[in-house]
Amino acid sequence: MLLTKTLTSSTFKLALIAIGTFGVIVSAIFSYVYLSTSAYVRSRSDRAIMAEYRDLRGVYEQSGREALIGIIRQRVADKAFAGHAYILSDTSSAVLAGNLAEWPPAATAPSGWTEFRAPGASLEGGGSPLVRGMIDSLPSGDRLLVGRDISDLDLFTGQIKTAVISGVLLIFLLAGVASVLVTRRTVGRIEQINATSRAIMASGLDKRIPLRGTHDEWDRVAENLNLMLERIETLVGEVKQVSDNLAHDLRTPLTRMRGRLEKAYHSQRFDEDAQALIGDTIADLDAVLRIFSSITRIAQIETGVRKEAFRTVNLVEIAQEVVELYDAAAEQNGSCLSMTGKGEVPATGDRDLIFDAIANLVDNAIKHGRVGGRVIVASETVNGVPVISVTDNGPGIPTDRRDQVFKRFYRLEQSRYTPGNGLGLSLVAAVARLHGARIEMSDNSPGLQFKLWFPAAGT
Amino acid sequence: MTGGHRRILVVEDDPETAGQLVEQLTTSGYQVDLATCGNDALRRGSASEYAVITIDRMLPDVDGIAVMRRLRDDGIAAPFLIISALGEIDDKVRGLRAGGDDYLVKPFSFIELLARLEALGRRSDTVAKETILRVGDLAIDLISRTASRRSKAIELLPKEFQLLEYLVRNEGRVVSRAMLLQHVWDLHFDPSTNIIDVYVGRLRRKVDDQQAYPLIHTVRGIGYCLRAPD
Repeated sequence: MLLTKTLTSSTFKLALIAIGTFGVIVSAIFSYVYLSTSAYVRSRSDRAIMAEYRDLRGVYEQSGREALIGIIRQRVADKAFAGHAYILSDTSSAVLAGNLAEWPPAATAPSGWTEFRAPGASLEGGGSPLVRGMIDSLPSGDRLLVGRDISDLDLFTGQIKTAVISGVLLIFLLAGVASVLVTRRTVGRIEQINATSRAIMASGLDKRIPLRGTHDEWDRVAENLNLMLERIETLVGEVKQVSDNLAHDLRTPLTRMRGRLEKAYHSQRFDEDAQALIGDTIADLDAVLRIFSSITRIAQIETGVRKEAFRTVNLVEIAQEVVELYDAAAEQNGSCLSMTGKGEVPATGDRDLIFDAIANLVDNAIKHGRVGGRVIVASETVNGVPVISVTDNGPGIPTDRRDQVFKRFYRLEQSRYTPGNGLGLSLVAAVARLHGARIEMSDNSPGLQFKLWFPAAGT
Repeated sequence: MTGGHRRILVVEDDPETAGQLVEQLTTSGYQVDLATCGNDALRRGSASEYAVITIDRMLPDVDGIAVMRRLRDDGIAAPFLIISALGEIDDKVRGLRAGGDDYLVKPFSFIELLARLEALGRRSDTVAKETILRVGDLAIDLISRTASRRSKAIELLPKEFQLLEYLVRNEGRVVSRAMLLQHVWDLHFDPSTNIIDVYVGRLRRKVDDQQAYPLIHTVRGIGYCLRAPD
């Protein structure tokens, strides 16, 4: 899990890019070192061969063929010239002098540089030494080859090559391991912040990101985020305090108002018209108060305090009770309200809130559904997930309005004149959020199916 | 309203609301004492015996719930009716757990308050142990959970029976919609529709249609009352 996150993290990708760039540069530098070293070593050896060749050629030009043969024999015998290869052959390739058994078959060019293996040659190294030499055709038609055993040189450049390649590989490996470790640390800290954020979204603002006490930039980020959370929590608390006080401060004068109106209503001092006016005013006042308490109720649900009272409830039982409460209303509306689902569909939650949410859905389905329509409440466990659904065959909700219906006071054009305050679905959404339930709306064509997927038991 | 000689302690800090309460309760036949702060309530509450104590949740000095706890600890048995502006179930439940017997949210209608006071005052009365309750020609059997009028059975759904039983038990008293929701459906909030009226309407059709006289009466602006004609 952490490894996957590490490998897909942006830090790791950056590290890979850095390793790649760095690797190309290091490879280029190492290649240059290798090439220039081997070229230098070679050119030194070539210069030595060239000098020797000039010596011999000089002897030949001044004193002739016999003198050349003589000096070759002398050189072959001389220990100071060990490691040198000489061969002088005539036109028929018969060896006239030298320390090679035969004219090397690989050296076919009439003149110039050549490189070949000389098996069995008794040079310094023995075995099958690598020889680099200068070939020249003499005016007499003889061919002269002056060379040196460069096996050592070859070995040396080979070693440099191995060292360079393994160095590059080692650097890549170390850089790879280091970047995984560094990324892992980064991802670990970010994951901690993410986990805290998720916990805050799921339960409440009281969670804090743990500090490691290292005083590094991550600790500082965590500290600042924690301070921010602290501030938000205080503000939310203050807002709640204000709304609580507002509830109290507004309700007291409203209570007085209602009391006075009620007193007037019961005093029998007015004629029928005035009496009716007072009655209507009381009813309107009650409607205002209901909206008011719906808002405070939603706000209160959203604080998540109610989570503390969660226990295991049976969704079938709650749905059954809602259906029992609403079947008279459905009957009055000419619709048919029925319930499917039996036994136990356990979920964790608050019975009153779930009841309220389902009641709102059923109320909507009856009110906004078709007159004489069908409303079906169903509860079941699907693959271990408790779900409750309310289905009607009314006009439904247009797909593009489905997110908006959860907004407070939002009402669809078609239902503007039916009673209600546009807070029902906001409450359903708040209850769903509190329970960690997912809301799903789908077409029942015609009609709407509303589903609440509760979290599976034990999660 | 049958307040009779009963004595009530009203704990309320808002002078106008307190004035209205005292005036209306006195008119309804109660003998009313008023306490305007928590300490006053503690003093009066333990000094004399009350049929019911109504207490405001938010008081200037001591919290209403704390007052209630202290009085309970002092052995005061009178039922408490908590009156509060914090109309949230949470607070209701907290209030009831702390020893409140009933809960009313501001602003309330005075008739609702009277109905609650009546119901609370009755709690101390001895509850009849009979298994068949009768009002006029209606009889309900609490064991078989059946109802009949003039020996003719009335077919009721289980919830309808519960509703009828609650009305019968409160015979002659006004019960509010909120009280029905609370006692029959165990709901501590207002579903803010006329759902109760519709439900009672159906029950009324089953109980009262084609009978000599109606038993279930609507009380305007508050709820219902089940009573037989005198």
